[in-house]
Amino acid sequence: MKVTPIIGLEVHVELRTQSKMFCSCSATHFHVEANTNTCPVCLGLPGALPVPNSTACEWCIKLGIALGCTPNLTSFFERKNYFYPDLAKGYQLTQFEKPFVVNGKLVIDGQEIRINRAHMEEDTGKSIHLTTSGQDLTLIDYNRCGVPLVEIVSEPDITSAQMAKNYLLKIQQIIRYLGISDADIEKGSMRCEPTINLKIETDDGQTVYTPLAEIKNVASLTGVQIAIDFELNRQLEEFKQTGETKSKTNKTTRGWDADKNQTFLQREKEGSSDYRYFPEPDIPYINFTQAEIDAIKASIPELPDQKIEKYKTVYGLSDYDAQTITADFSFANIYESIIIDYIYKNKVNDLTKIVGKSLKDLVGFTDSAKVKDFAKFTANLFLGAIKTHLNETGEDLDQSKINSQFFFDLFTAVSNSEISATVAKQVIIESYQTGEHPVEIAKSKGLIQVSDSGEIEKIATEVITNNPKAVEDYKKNPMSIGFLIGQLMKASRGSANPVIAKNILEKLLK
Amino acid sequence: MDYSTLSIPQIRQLLLGKKATATEITQFFLAKIKLIDPQIKAFITITEKEALGKAAEIDKKIANNETIGKLAGSIMAVKDIFLTKDIETTASSQVLKGYIPQYSSTVYQKLLDQDAIIIGKTNTDPFAFGGSTENSGFFTTKNPWNLDMIPGGSSGGSAAATAANLCHFALGTDTGGSIRQPASLCGVSGLKPTYGLNSRFGITAMASSFDCPGVFARSVDDIATVTQITAGHDKNDATSTHQTIPDYSSLLDSVNLKGLKIGLPKEYFTQAINPEVKAKVLEAAKVLESKGAILKEVSLPSTNLGLAVYYILVPSEISANMSRYEGIRFGQTSPDGSNIISYYMNVRGQFMEPEVKRRIIIGTYALSSGYYDAYYTKAAKVRTLIKQEFESVLADVDVILAPVSPTSAWKIGEKCSNPLEMYLADAYTVCINVAGVPSLALPCGFNSNNLPIGFQLIGNFFEESKIMSIGHQYQQITDYHLQQPKL
Repeated sequence: MKVTPIIGLEVHVELRTQSKMFCSCSATHFHVEANTNTCPVCLGLPGALPVPNSTACEWCIKLGIALGCTPNLTSFFERKNYFYPDLAKGYQLTQFEKPFVVNGKLVIDGQEIRINRAHMEEDTGKSIHLTTSGQDLTLIDYNRCGVPLVEIVSEPDITSAQMAKNYLLKIQQIIRYLGISDADIEKGSMRCEPTINLKIETDDGQTVYTPLAEIKNVASLTGVQIAIDFELNRQLEEFKQTGETKSKTNKTTRGWDADKNQTFLQREKEGSSDYRYFPEPDIPYINFTQAEIDAIKASIPELPDQKIEKYKTVYGLSDYDAQTITADFSFANIYESIIIDYIYKNKVNDLTKIVGKSLKDLVGFTDSAKVKDFAKFTANLFLGAIKTHLNETGEDLDQSKINSQFFFDLFTAVSNSEISATVAKQVIIESYQTGEHPVEIAKSKGLIQVSDSGEIEKIATEVITNNPKAVEDYKKNPMSIGFLIGQLMKASRGSANPVIAKNILEKLLK
Repeated sequence: MDYSTLSIPQIRQLLLGKKATATEITQFFLAKIKLIDPQIKAFITITEKEALGKAAEIDKKIANNETIGKLAGSIMAVKDIFLTKDIETTASSQVLKGYIPQYSSTVYQKLLDQDAIIIGKTNTDPFAFGGSTENSGFFTTKNPWNLDMIPGGSSGGSAAATAANLCHFALGTDTGGSIRQPASLCGVSGLKPTYGLNSRFGITAMASSFDCPGVFARSVDDIATVTQITAGHDKNDATSTHQTIPDYSSLLDSVNLKGLKIGLPKEYFTQAINPEVKAKVLEAAKVLESKGAILKEVSLPSTNLGLAVYYILVPSEISANMSRYEGIRFGQTSPDGSNIISYYMNVRGQFMEPEVKRRIIIGTYALSSGYYDAYYTKAAKVRTLIKQEFESVLADVDVILAPVSPTSAWKIGEKCSNPLEMYLADAYTVCINVAGVPSLALPCGFNSNNLPIGFQLIGNFFEESKIMSIGHQYQQITDYHLQQPKL
């Protein structure tokens, strides 16, 4: 028996526009006093009319293009009709027939995941169920009602829970690069609803599918992965017991219980609801010209995959380093600003003309060994000392504390063997904290590497005199020279060039 | 002095000449309404406090030699589907009874800003669903010309108030004829503007792609003055126009009747029309012909599909627009909150009028999966066809002249048992809404029972100025609009 998971994801992302989707209320609702960011429009009062937020529409298109989608030059909103107390108007404004963007794709773990569409809609309010003085109450907070929401619908091309998680991580990273949402699953600004079933090829050559299940209320990235894995196993076990296969009427909705780490049945027979979609008559069709679409396209920054490729080919970083630096947009940009400053300052070939452009413009620029050395040097400091420091303090990298010139000078000092790599790591953190020049810090602490052989010879002679036992050991076993080098480095307070020190010790002990 | 027969500019001149105060004018109308309205029942709410407050404000401005608004001292009646801040707005439905809005509709606010005085909220069919005010959740308004007759609808209260001189002008809405038909049956003038000319913001929605707020007055001149204020883009209504609004009043004489091509659509003059109505409407055409206009028979072949298209698309939009009336944030509530579905059913079942329910059911059905393409999609296509027919005829003639209602006002209760017959009364008005073009209804005589008859002048998109100019000139040579019912 061969079992293949079939997973499709619906991802909802709240845009961080200033105002809501169809009114001028603030779109902020996290930790805001209930029902304070509301108006006649988002409360669905009689006579109120929606006016679309053009920034939100543009951001939806921007996101779609970043996900490889094609924009529809004409699109429109539709009403999705259903009754629920937190849905003020009794219908949700969304897009059905003509979403802003369609037919995209993302490559995850080497596999292409097709994206059916990304459409614009409005969020609902929040129902809060509680019991007070023995009475069951439902309170409604309409602050979230009307917050712009983009829904990204994948085709069922995902084949494992890990891939689903990676797909979400990639979407989250792209959204953060675009700066259109914090895409935080824990805060609810990004939500994910996987729809899952299994393709089962039995040993007797039959191919069957298990009933579809949609999982709701998964509130963390890890949760998504665990929930999908749980559900895949559950469906396999259920199939083994009941043999039930997918039909038009047996799709179910399952909730996710994060405490018990299991899904539970919420609703059966999902297929029967009729939302009676029809074009929203309160909003004219929305038309974009090709020039407007091109302008949106041009406003998209370099995306993670392009950046990684550039870091590898132009900056000479390893795949791992490139991935790690680009994981965070702001971190990558601060790193890159130093490299770009270096390119400008040193007028490295024609790289000055193409920095900040996309990868295809960079093809053919291979004569940049110096840039690669500097980029690798800086990457080591960023991923080593700086990242460790940030992890310890829990802070984000602060651009204002980064001075490109400090990195240039440090690079020169290390290249000239004036400062060791170890000292460089140490002083860059001190420099980051105090704002002082790292090379000056090294000097003031006597950490400048001594390469003057006369000076080192003087210290070496002292070390030999003070360590007769070690000298004896060395004569028996030349491999034990490390101890004497260590003593020499200590006596020089780390400033001696260890290679020169070793050569001199060997010469004196001959 | 009888302030009720004066025009809007005359009232303003009285104030400026200190021949009367706004308070005196307001008190005159309040007294008149108290005397006459109990017979007609045009008003649901009399806004005595607000009216006197506004009048005092205007009088103070005059005393201080401050500029007064363009409509200063004019008394307006407002259809009860326009939201009026701090004034109960019921939409003539029990489901909204007691609702005090937190904000005002744009059109109403613009008029207040020009110092118009609101005297009351007028009766309508609930949420404007109907053509006689008989569907109102409160009472039926009576035709000032004959108290046994309906005033037409849905804006019947506004039309009756205007006809009985209980206001200088009144606000209405026209989704399928709701301004023109009651204007015609009550013998007053009424403008259904181009869709999007006047903002819909703050007016309870009936069918969002059809609804047109507009105005009733006795003369076209006053309609032009008020429309000048109400028209134009509203940032709160995405479907409102971005067109520049012409100076309507200065253009009232701009159209030259000599050589003006007037189209008479043959589909509007068939056997379905009452012979007396037909005769009077044709007589109005002859009046214009006598001033040099050229009459020409034209054809709008899809006219017979208008009602079908209208009664698919309008209820479809209604079915969604009515969803917000579920008793949670405003309006009537139900004591039984044990379960949300039964709560909804109690509120909507108990407080929505039968016609409201009927239209929700029709619309829900038309939008349902499996029926959507056969009804909604098809109707939307025919709508485009009807619009194209109007555009093509109006490329050939300058204006279309047609009857408004196939009959004059009918007896209260006469058509109540048959909703379909009631719908047929809209046959000559709905196509104009389906197309979205403007139309001006004007009185053109009386039948043998002394009931008013009206006709309409239909222009191309945003040609309000043209049809008002023709209407104004018609009213210079006729006096039907000056006739008053005996009350």
